Amino acid sequence: MKRDKRSFRVAMMADRYVNAAPGGVDGVAAAEEAGWGVLQLPPDDYPADLVKLLLFEVAEQAEEFSRRGYDLVLVGRHDGLAEALAGVGLPLPDSSMPLTTAELVDFFGARPIPRAMAELGELAGD
Amino acid sequence: MGVAFVAHCLLNQNSKVGDGAHCAGVYSPIVDALRQKGWRIEQMPCPELAFSGLNRFWGVREQYDTAAYRRHCARLAAAVAEAIGVRTGQGEEIVLIGVEGSPSMGVTITSSDPTRGGRPEWPEGTLEHVNGEGIYIEELRKALESRGLRFPRVAGETHATEGHDENAERAALEATLDRQS
Repeated sequence: MKRDKRSFRVAMMADRYVNAAPGGVDGVAAAEEAGWGVLQLPPDDYPADLVKLLLFEVAEQAEEFSRRGYDLVLVGRHDGLAEALAGVGLPLPDSSMPLTTAELVDFFGARPIPRAMAELGELAGD
Repeated sequence: MGVAFVAHCLLNQNSKVGDGAHCAGVYSPIVDALRQKGWRIEQMPCPELAFSGLNRFWGVREQYDTAAYRRHCARLAAAVAEAIGVRTGQGEEIVLIGVEGSPSMGVTITSSDPTRGGRPEWPEGTLEHVNGEGIYIEELRKALESRGLRFPRVAGETHATEGHDENAERAALEATLDRQS
């Protein structure tokens, strides 16, 4: 497959970091700065049945990223995520509960080279 | 402002078909415009990612338009329609941000070529783009209608379309966001 501009790095991210309150940790800004994609977790205010449906879809997508060797991490937490991931055979990935946006950028920056990228013969930082 | 239900790849270009990612992760031209205007972002699932995988070929509507893929899209659309219903019930304005030229996520432009199939041999080009909605968007329209919900106003990321211009893309997005429903 031809290489494009993707980073092979995906952060499952709690809604409060995607839609950050003023002064809060801005997960989207951190992802933009570090070159990560975001897989948003369901908002906390949705009905439980809807959250379960959305978490199932998150897990299915996470499974495809994982099996293809993309780096997958969790930013924040979400009740029910561990069960949804277990349903597709995935454990909870490495995670961060950042207190600042800069801390999250550092977390992203410290991750190893994704297997998918290594398999394409790329080097870290390319 | 309201809630923007955005195509998955606008927050995560890693979901794109091979050779289709325009940046590392977040597609900032659209996402930043939404954030600057105060729109809440909610990401829709990528219908092609879980169904056809990361190593899928580029495809047109006719290749994706199978009963199984429609059922998959209908399942995703049902959850998103429920979410739109919740937000509508809270009095929120809703906008749908798709991907123009996509066989699944196109909101006013999709791709069509009934001759494609078998061993790939078609030439480079974007002649397959036609007016219309992608398959997932059609299923979302049905899911909203079945719940008595209005189909929201739409805008699209236009990278795949001929003559793509980032300024024009943003102007069209802002016009959609600013329009009173």
